[in-house]
Amino acid sequence: MSNVLVVGEVDGSDVKNISQQVAAVASGMGEVTGLVMGNGISEAGMKLAVGKIIIADNTSLEHYDAVKYASVVCHIANENNIETILLGATSMGKDLGPRVAAELNWGYLGDCLEAGSEGFIRPNFAGKVLAKSNPEGPVVASIRNNAYPAGEAWSGSVENYSGNITDSSLNTTEIETVGAGTIELTEASIVVSGGRGLESAENYDSMIRPLAESMGAAAGASRAIVDAGWVSHSHQVGQTGKTVAPDLYLAIGISGAIQHLGGMSGSKYIAAINKDPDAPIFKIADYGIVGDLFEILPVLKSKI
Amino acid sequence: MNIAVLIKMVPDTESKLEINGGKLDGGNFKYMVNPYDEFAVEQAVQFKESEGGKVTLLSLFSENNSIDTDLRKMLAIGADEIIVLRQKNYQGDKPLGNAKILADAIKELDVDLILCGIQGIDYYQAATGTMVAQMLGMPNISGVTNLEINGGKLKAKRQIEGGLQTIETPTPALVTCQKDMNKVRFPALKDIMMSKRKPFENRDVESVDSNDVVTSDSSLPPTRDGGEIIEGENAEEKVDKLLEKLKMEAKVL
Repeated sequence: MSNVLVVGEVDGSDVKNISQQVAAVASGMGEVTGLVMGNGISEAGMKLAVGKIIIADNTSLEHYDAVKYASVVCHIANENNIETILLGATSMGKDLGPRVAAELNWGYLGDCLEAGSEGFIRPNFAGKVLAKSNPEGPVVASIRNNAYPAGEAWSGSVENYSGNITDSSLNTTEIETVGAGTIELTEASIVVSGGRGLESAENYDSMIRPLAESMGAAAGASRAIVDAGWVSHSHQVGQTGKTVAPDLYLAIGISGAIQHLGGMSGSKYIAAINKDPDAPIFKIADYGIVGDLFEILPVLKSKI
Repeated sequence: MNIAVLIKMVPDTESKLEINGGKLDGGNFKYMVNPYDEFAVEQAVQFKESEGGKVTLLSLFSENNSIDTDLRKMLAIGADEIIVLRQKNYQGDKPLGNAKILADAIKELDVDLILCGIQGIDYYQAATGTMVAQMLGMPNISGVTNLEINGGKLKAKRQIEGGLQTIETPTPALVTCQKDMNKVRFPALKDIMMSKRKPFENRDVESVDSNDVVTSDSSLPPTRDGGEIIEGENAEEKVDKLLEKLKMEAKVL
């Protein structure tokens, strides 16, 4: 058993679901300390599902800053004899994890599918190879979303961070929300994705987005239609886009190039709609409908 | 402004991934420039065009020189020189050890900005760039989709969940590049010809011990079988059956 530090993240008045998943993983690995950083996050941060929580609530931590955040994490790791640091594989975790590992001179494991005292498994080559390891020394690891069920919020002991925060030249001047109200791909439990079968950007906007919205799903896209400029890269699922593992992945008009499959084949269930019965997507889909999406989608939308 | 671009040579996407005795067999790999790093080269050349200065490409790889032709294409885009650090027993999955070698090499260059791709498409750690920044005591901004420079000050937009974070910083700094950042140019024939006369230096570097985690076992993921094709007279019947299965069988709706 080792001393584990979980770096949690807050979204609004709650701890992010991914952070609760990481907390649940950590609880099986040893004595767990939680850390939440930000500005005005004390109340939300206390919901992190660990027994001991350190809150670093400071105006200078308002936005993620690699230099400042890493200094806080490293300070706490050294003070508490931490041997394992776990983070969610988020835009923050994937940046902070390696920075902290370099500062502590520890090994780093990014985007893990499995983590525990028996070892770690992480994807190589967009998930086409799985690499298992049993680190002997201390390690920093980020854990992919939806790899584990979330821990339940409970109130442990809370202390405030009193160590230094290193000065940083980084200055966040703006946070833009893109597609306000839409659900983030990597956090969604349902993803509705569209591909070239939709024939135009207008059809993506008029068919995929509303269907996703009515299902409480995130809207994804194949590389082909991102490259064609129909939707922005932030929607792309696959090798050069995002890796998702929702409960349900609904692939519409996507043939299923190997690069796309790499980004979504970890989904619990896959359903596909495509007019080509030989489309590779059907080889991995749990449920397939061979047919014209322009006939099927309106019916589907009306029944959701 | 002098810029260093870190380039990783990665197995090309057509490479067959074979596992023998729990080890990934790289014997037949052909290598290419990591696609994300091409965005970094393009951005560096654009800054050179507007701000002046020099673009140095830095790559760490084995003694295998079959990569040279592909690397040289990055010079045709407009970079000025290449330094390849040649390491016996080089491994692409040692971010900590590799970052140390790269950081040491950068210390000898006089650079204001370091650019690289957000991640290698081989091991997907997204770690080396950030680690290099830490080792050089520089700030880093990762996953950047838009980068501007004004009077020596960088303005970067990075992808975050649900949006973009705009960060400003003076140089020196390290930025990792995300896909949407720019459109990589196709070099003209004369640039390709010119690139053959640009400096291409090979430098031997020592292998270093590092605390990188060693992979004990590699395997192919369990294959996913195709499920059932839902039959039906018409669209409505097919949709009804699908929804029924998603609700009752899969219980995901």
